[in-house]
Amino acid sequence: MTLRPASVAELASVITDAAAARRGLRLIARGTWLDGGAPVSADAEPLYLDAFDGIIEYEPGDLTITVGAAMSVAELDAATAQHGQWCPLAPWGGDDGSVGATIATATAGPLAHALGLPRDLVLGVECVDGTGKTLRPGGKVVKNVAGFDLVRLMTGSWGSLAAITRVSLRLRARPAVDETWLVVTDAAADLCQRLRRSVTPPIACEVVTRGTLGANSPDGLLVRLAGNAAYVAAARDAVHGAGDAQRADASAWTPVRTAARPQATRAMLDPAVRALNDGVKHAFDPSGILNPGIMG
Amino acid sequence: MTLAASLRAIVGDTHVLERAAELLVYESDGLPGYHRTPSLAVFPANADEALAVVRTLASAGVPYVPRGAGTGLSGGALADGAVLLGLHRLKKIIAIDPERRVARVEPGVVNVSLTKAATKFGLHYAPDPSSQTACTLGGNLAENAGGPHCLKYGVTLNHVVAAKVALPDGTVVELNADDSGYDLLGAFVGSEGCFGTALELTVKLTPNPERVVTLLADFTSIDDAAQTVSAIIAAGILPAALEMMDRATVGAVEASIYAAGYPTDAAAVLLVEVDGAAAGLDEDVQGVDRICRAHGARDVRIATEPAARAKLWQGRKKAFGAMGRLAPHLVVQDAVVPRTKLPSLLAQISAIGAANGVQVCNVFHAGDGNLHPNIPYNANDRDEADRVHHAMVAIMQACIDAGGTITGEHGVGLDKLRYMDALFTADTLDGMCRLRDVFDPDRRANPGKVVPIRYCRERRPNTQMAEGGRRMADATGGQL
Ligand SMILES: Cc1cc2nc3c(=O)[nH]c(=O)nc-3n(C[C@H](O)[C@H](O)[C@H](O)COP(=O)(O)OP(=O)(O)OC[C@H]3O[C@@H](n4cnc5c(N)ncnc54)[C@H](O)[C@@H]3O)c2cc1C
Repeated sequence: MTLRPASVAELASVITDAAAARRGLRLIARGTWLDGGAPVSADAEPLYLDAFDGIIEYEPGDLTITVGAAMSVAELDAATAQHGQWCPLAPWGGDDGSVGATIATATAGPLAHALGLPRDLVLGVECVDGTGKTLRPGGKVVKNVAGFDLVRLMTGSWGSLAAITRVSLRLRARPAVDETWLVVTDAAADLCQRLRRSVTPPIACEVVTRGTLGANSPDGLLVRLAGNAAYVAAARDAVHGAGDAQRADASAWTPVRTAARPQATRAMLDPAVRALNDGVKHAFDPSGILNPGIMG
Repeated sequence: MTLAASLRAIVGDTHVLERAAELLVYESDGLPGYHRTPSLAVFPANADEALAVVRTLASAGVPYVPRGAGTGLSGGALADGAVLLGLHRLKKIIAIDPERRVARVEPGVVNVSLTKAATKFGLHYAPDPSSQTACTLGGNLAENAGGPHCLKYGVTLNHVVAAKVALPDGTVVELNADDSGYDLLGAFVGSEGCFGTALELTVKLTPNPERVVTLLADFTSIDDAAQTVSAIIAAGILPAALEMMDRATVGAVEASIYAAGYPTDAAAVLLVEVDGAAAGLDEDVQGVDRICRAHGARDVRIATEPAARAKLWQGRKKAFGAMGRLAPHLVVQDAVVPRTKLPSLLAQISAIGAANGVQVCNVFHAGDGNLHPNIPYNANDRDEADRVHHAMVAIMQACIDAGGTITGEHGVGLDKLRYMDALFTADTLDGMCRLRDVFDPDRRANPGKVVPIRYCRERRPNTQMAEGGRRMADATGGQL
C-alpha cells in the first residue's frame, strides 16, 4: 500500500507507526532529486508528501507567503510574479523541485550571494518529526526570536529529523529592471569577485564554460543586474568596461542552474560537533526512520 | 575548596563577587520590575579563564547565567540563585580581515566598537541595536539582536559566520555556518545563553554605502503613516531603515536634551533611510518622498549631509532614554505583526492604552512590522503596575491574533515565558526543549528561561548525563 497521507494528522500516524516498527521512510515530495546527493537506505519505504501543496496564505502587502511543502519552486515563482514579487530561492537544479525539499536540503542558487541563503529566507515551518509530533516553529512574520530556533534546525536537515509540510517564506518586490549579460572573458572568476565588490554589485554572477549556454557559447561570466533603471544603467557600464559584454536572455540561467555541479565534499566534523549532530538526530528521530543514511 | 575559592583561583580575587551589596548591580538587566540575586558573580578576563570557569561550574553541577552588558530587555541575564558569568572583560577584537570582510572578536566587545574599528577599512558591522553603544556582540548573538538597519541588511543571524562555544559541560565546539550536518550555528544564534557560552565570534563586515540619504516625513494621522510603510515596501524600494515614532514619543524626545527638531504636533513621523550605490539612489529618494506625500505627509525633510542626518537619527536612537524621563520606569515592549496589520494594530494598541489608563509610546522598526509599544510608569505604584501589566497582556494577545509574534528581537527571557503557550503548541515547545537538552542535558545554562519548564518532558538524567560526560571526555582527550 502506498503511503500518501492526506493530512498532517495522517502523516503523524504514518510516522508514529513506522517509528514503532522501526521501518525506514524515504520522504518524497516531487521526486526530482531522490538521492539528494546522498543515498537513503534502499529498504526505506517511500512516503509521498504531495498532498501538502498549494498556497496556504498569501497577503502580497506583507511580502510573505505560506505554501504547502510539495509546491514546486516554479509554481511559487508564478504565483508571486502575479503580484510583482518573488522569493529568490532559484535553487541549483532548477524549478521543478518542491519548496519543502529546497528548504530541507538548504539548496541555494546563484542569487544566494546577494539575496540570501534558504536559511535567510525561511520564516517558519510546519513539520512532523520522527516521533510523530507536529512542530510549528517560527511564524509568518519577518522578524521573530520567540523560542529556540527549530526553523534553522530543520533547514538543511535533509528530511532526517522531520517531514516538512508547510513553509513560510520572505518575499521581495521584483526589481524594476532585470537584465542578464554574458561577459566573454577567460578571467571570469576574477571578474566575478571584482563585480561583487563593486559599488553596483550584480544579483548573480556565475562562471560559464564553453558550450554551457548552447553549442559554441564561449567561456565567460553570466551576470544578472537588477534594480531601478539608474542603478542598472551604472551597473551595465561597469560590466561593459570589463570586457566584451553581450546581452543574454533570462533563460540563460536555466542551463547554468541545471548543469551538474561538483558535489561539495562534506568536511569531517570535529568529534564534539559530531556528538551534537548525533544528539539532534536522536532527539527528533530516535528510531532513525526518516531518510535513513542521508546525512551520512 | 569552596566554589568561590576555586573560581578565585582562576580569575583572581577581585573578579569574584559574593557580598549582597556587590551583587546588587547584577540583580536586574534592562527590564524593569524584576530583581533576581545571583549566588555569586564571576568575571573572567579571557576565553581560557572563561572556559576554566565553565568547567569548574560543570564539575560542581552548578547552574549559571552568561551575561554581557546586561542591556537585555526580557530578563534573560537574570540569575536567580545561579552563578552569574559576566563576559564584559572579554573585549578583544582579535582580528579584522578587510579582504574577506570578517572580524573575529571576543564576546564582550561592545557592538559599536567593532564598527569603529572597521571604519578605516570602509566597513561596518551592520546589525545596530539602539543599545549599540553598550550591548555586547555576545549578547547580540544570544538574542539574535536586530536594529533599525536590519530591514535591509538582516539581523544578527545573517551576519554570524562562526562561533566558538563552551557547552555547559565544558566541551568546546566550533560552529561554522558552512559545516556539514545540521545548522547548529543557526540553532545557537538566539538561544539566550541556554545552549552554552560564546567565547569567540566571527562576524561579517559590510562595506559602507557610497551614499546615504535620510528622510523625515510627518503625518497628521498615525494610520496614514502606517499605510505609507506598506506602500513603500510594496513599491519595491528597500530602505536601509524605516522607523516610526508616534506623537507621545516625539513629545518625549523633543522635551529632552536629544531634541532632534521633530514636529511635536505630528501624529506620527517616519524616519526613512535610503543607502547604497550613488547610482539610482535619487530615484529611491524621490520614490519615498512621493509615496509619503501621496499618503498625506505634511512635510518631508531630506538630509544628505552627515551632521544633518545624525541629528534626525539622534531622536530615534535616544528615544528610550527620552521616554525614561517621563516616569521612573519604562517597559520596552517588543512584538511583530504582518506589515499590512500595522494600521489596525496601532489603533488597537491605542485603545488598549486608553482602556487601562496608561500612556503607550510607539517607536519601532515599522518596515519589519516590529512594534515597540512602550509604557512609562512607576513600578512601585501597585495599581499602575497592574494596569501596565494588563495592557501589555492585551497588546501581546492582539499581536498573536493578528498572526504575529511576541518578540522580534528582545528575546523571551523570563518576561515572555507567559506568552509562549499562546503562540506555540505544547509539542512545538517540547521540541524546543529537546533541542536545548542536546546542548545542555543537565539544564544548568540559564535555567528557567525561554520555554516554560512544564512543557519540557522529564529528562532522564542518567543516560543523558552519561552522554554529556562522554562528549566532554572525547573533546578533552579524557584530560578532565
Ligand atoms: C535602550 C535600549 C535599546 C535597545 N535596542 C535594541 C534594538 O534596537 N534591537 C535589539 O535587538 N535589542 C535592543 N535592546 C536589547 C539589548 O540591548 C539586546 O538584547 C542586546 O543584544 C543584549 O546584549 P547584552 O550584552 O546587554 O546582553 P545581556 O543583557 O547581558 O544578556 C542577554 C542574553 O544573552 C545571554 N548572553 C550574553 N552574553 C553571552 C555569551 N557570550 N554567550 C552566551 N550567551 C550570552 C545572556 O545569558 C542573556 O540571556 C535594547 C536595550 C536597551 C536598554
